Amino acid sequence: MKRLLLLIAIITLTSTLFASDFIHIMGGRAAAMGGSSVASQGLWAMQNNPAGMANLDKISFGLYYENRWLLPETAYKCGAFALPIKKVGCLGVSFNQFGSSKYNENKIGLAYARDFGRYLQIGLQLDYLIMKIGNDYGTFQAFTFELGIQSHVTDKLTLGTYIFNPVSFKFKQTLNHEKLPIVFRFGLAYQFTKDFVGQCEIEKNTERSGVSLRGGLEYEAFKNFFIRAGVQSNPGILSFGLGYGIRFAQINVAAQLHNELGASLQIGMIFSIGK
Amino acid sequence: MKRLLIIILFLLFAVAAKAQIAIDTLSSEALNELLIEQVERMAEDSDDDIDYEELLDNYIFLSDNPINLNSDDMVQLMELHLINAFQYEELKKYRRYYGDFMFLDELAMVEGFDEQTIEIIRPLVCVGQDNGKDKITFKKMARYGKHQILGRYEQVLEKQQGYLPTTDSALLAKPNSRYLGCPQKLQFRYTYNYRNRIRAGIVVEKDAGEMFFTDKVSDTIKALLGKKYSRGFDFIGFHLYAKDLGIVKAAVLGDYQLSFGQGLTLWSGMTFGKAGAGSSVMKQARGISPKSSASEYAFMRGAAVTLGKGPFSGTVFYSNRLVDANISIADTLDNEAEYISSLQETGYHRTIGELLDRHAIRQQIVGGHLSFAIAHFEVGYTAHHTWLSVPLELRPSHYNQFYFQGRQLTNQGIDFKYVKGKYAVFGEVAMSMNFDSTALRQAQGPLAFAGLVGLTVKPAGYLNFTLMYRDYGKMYQNLYSNAFGEGSRNQGQRGIYLGVEAAPAPYWNILAYADLFQFTWLTSQVNAPSRGHDFYLRVSHSFNRRTNAYLQFRSKTKMKNSTDGQVFSHYPIFYTKNTVRFNISYQIVGDLHCSNKAEYAHYRNDDGSNEHGYFLCQDIAYKPEHLPFSLTFRYAIFDAKDYNARVYAYENDVLYSFSVPALYGKGMRFYLLGKVKLFNSLTLYARIGRTIYSDRNTVGTGLSQIEGNHKTDLKVEAIWKL
Repeated sequence: MKRLLLLIAIITLTSTLFASDFIHIMGGRAAAMGGSSVASQGLWAMQNNPAGMANLDKISFGLYYENRWLLPETAYKCGAFALPIKKVGCLGVSFNQFGSSKYNENKIGLAYARDFGRYLQIGLQLDYLIMKIGNDYGTFQAFTFELGIQSHVTDKLTLGTYIFNPVSFKFKQTLNHEKLPIVFRFGLAYQFTKDFVGQCEIEKNTERSGVSLRGGLEYEAFKNFFIRAGVQSNPGILSFGLGYGIRFAQINVAAQLHNELGASLQIGMIFSIGK
Repeated sequence: MKRLLIIILFLLFAVAAKAQIAIDTLSSEALNELLIEQVERMAEDSDDDIDYEELLDNYIFLSDNPINLNSDDMVQLMELHLINAFQYEELKKYRRYYGDFMFLDELAMVEGFDEQTIEIIRPLVCVGQDNGKDKITFKKMARYGKHQILGRYEQVLEKQQGYLPTTDSALLAKPNSRYLGCPQKLQFRYTYNYRNRIRAGIVVEKDAGEMFFTDKVSDTIKALLGKKYSRGFDFIGFHLYAKDLGIVKAAVLGDYQLSFGQGLTLWSGMTFGKAGAGSSVMKQARGISPKSSASEYAFMRGAAVTLGKGPFSGTVFYSNRLVDANISIADTLDNEAEYISSLQETGYHRTIGELLDRHAIRQQIVGGHLSFAIAHFEVGYTAHHTWLSVPLELRPSHYNQFYFQGRQLTNQGIDFKYVKGKYAVFGEVAMSMNFDSTALRQAQGPLAFAGLVGLTVKPAGYLNFTLMYRDYGKMYQNLYSNAFGEGSRNQGQRGIYLGVEAAPAPYWNILAYADLFQFTWLTSQVNAPSRGHDFYLRVSHSFNRRTNAYLQFRSKTKMKNSTDGQVFSHYPIFYTKNTVRFNISYQIVGDLHCSNKAEYAHYRNDDGSNEHGYFLCQDIAYKPEHLPFSLTFRYAIFDAKDYNARVYAYENDVLYSFSVPALYGKGMRFYLLGKVKLFNSLTLYARIGRTIYSDRNTVGTGLSQIEGNHKTDLKVEAIWKL
């Protein structure tokens, strides 16, 4: 009962922000670092800033699950596959879903990223979005795209910019004038030492008031074993997590705490094939 | 028309592919960034439209005609606040000890010239022999002179309210409900320069909405306008300027600007205001300078000459100009007397009302400046007298009762400056005399005073402090003062300013200031003497030569009348605006520059409610070194509920033009600027920008209102250099 009430509360709260959850930070590392990810690399960059997967050198496959507020009804699920091709760039497909059978948002993405030398990586993802509202309210669809760039401007500093839906595509039809937001974020990652990274970024989502600031730290405590922590504003969230990687697999877990809504747990796994 | 333009552009791009390699003016990113910073700070400080064109003119002129490091013209860099007084002194010292510069890189050995300063001024200086005293002959002038022709077209592509069709009778009923002219803005300019010593130019301009040759108005409107009916270019200006001709240090005929001392007595052109913070609070006056821009307000038209011998120099000038004003007729017992209720400063003549005010009165100014300068010390005396052909009588109000009114005004002032070693001291005292006083002012006497004094101390090479005090009397009147202050009026204000510039570690710079001010009389929309403060902090860091970032905070508190409708009389209360800005710019590869900016503005209302403004943008500039074109692109989103939380964002523009829109509401903005260089002498620019709002279906207000949620501006410019 309590859960149901909370669910109702959340849905009413977010109903003014309908369809703004298509764009959600994915990956256990990003989740542990307060959501900061615009200047990060790796498979999940496909969702967070496609430019970051330009330098993937192995065929990779990943799964991610976020138990948001510990409710199955508000969970995120994501799967991604990336195929680097020499001299062409990196291709990727992804699928992610938020919600339950009563209300869900789905995004299918086709990504491409390319490295133009040390100083420039560009990524693009074409998206097909489906919003489904239960009880025969219907299914709503939209096409859009997302763009990102990254630059390793010095040995230590990486900058990234990412825009989702830059030309403000809309749903083909809507129930209640739901808008597809433009999401714009940029930020940096700074490699303080070989084993210590700090990241921060700013995000503006046109369907939310204010901006969100995010920052995170990562420390490689032992070889291949990472400790992470982060903070995010609007909504105010504290996060921390752990990560462990071996040659062909990585696992990252994270927990996020929100003062009113409680905790969320995230787990992500990446498997890679090749040398 | 549009199609023709597209075809022309296409052809030009096609030709460009074969054109030669050339270097851009203002190609230095460091200089460009400094300029952006200066302009944004100026825009935030001023509620008026500033003539940024004049500032940009100076920069472009310098980068086209670099200054010889071995000449006294280096002082021009100080005028633009590119170097400070200490650096200028060190430069002179270096030349005294070691002789003339042989290489540009020697600059690094001059004390106080850090890498950043050198990077900024490098494109503006050169090394050569000081041949400033050469004889000028017509033969040389014809051979080495540089000519430049500029043409610019700009237009808002959407139909604005003021251009919608209407009938004569409707227009007669509401004469200011339409613009009479076409929506295109046009400017043409010709300039000539011989080694920075002889300059000449003509500029003609027509603003959007002003009548041009092609526009037709009906006979009734024509009759209504009478003598004021005119078509064609609305503004025509010219100048002829020479300097360093023996005893004649500078002479000008036509349009010009004057600036002396610290600007309290006479400073007609552009000034940095608070934008020149830190050690550049001390102003470096330019004396006579030619005016080549098309701005229609605050300049001199006539003649001026500066003569100098040894430590003495003297300037005399005369200006006689028609200015815009609203003439009214007062019925007195004896006869009808004309008076004006205000001087119009916009320079727009688009509607019937604006046209009727055009050039309504004559303003004459005569004056001069004497100065005595030895090694480290300089003192000057300035005096000028203004006549209006029709007396100014403001609509009586409490706040404006000490403003200038009447027909004549005399101003005098003494300024001084001393720069040596670790210290710079500067100041100016000024006096105004208005004998056309009203009864109230007669009670106080016709005289009023204003003064400022400042001190800059440089305890170490990487650190300097500036302390300045100003007290401008509430009755001090001056139509051409432009000294340091809060707001644009040097009247009824007291303030103390403390600024610090420091480089605490390599690649780190800090600039901070605090300005506490008081208005000793009421001001517009402030029904009591008021006070406020302005705090500023900026920390900048260079990660490497190509990557620079800064973080800036500003908090400004001022008083304004409460808007609470419940109270009987409006009393002033405090309002605070805080802004935080982060900017990072980096060069990805040689040809590709990127920058990101995030800005947050916060405004607190009197009812305790808050307004927030946000702005984020990504800039990408592609400037290939070996190809004759460049492209600049910006994508930005903004979200500011109201005008109070507006965000200013500098935009790159066609050469000699500026764009610093104040963004508020909710939406996005982008622009694309292209530049093509043809045959080494002809450069073309085109820029299209669009703002799309998501929270409104009309853009703008009044005559510039657009039905729709977007506004698109187009500019095309051609510059031909010979």
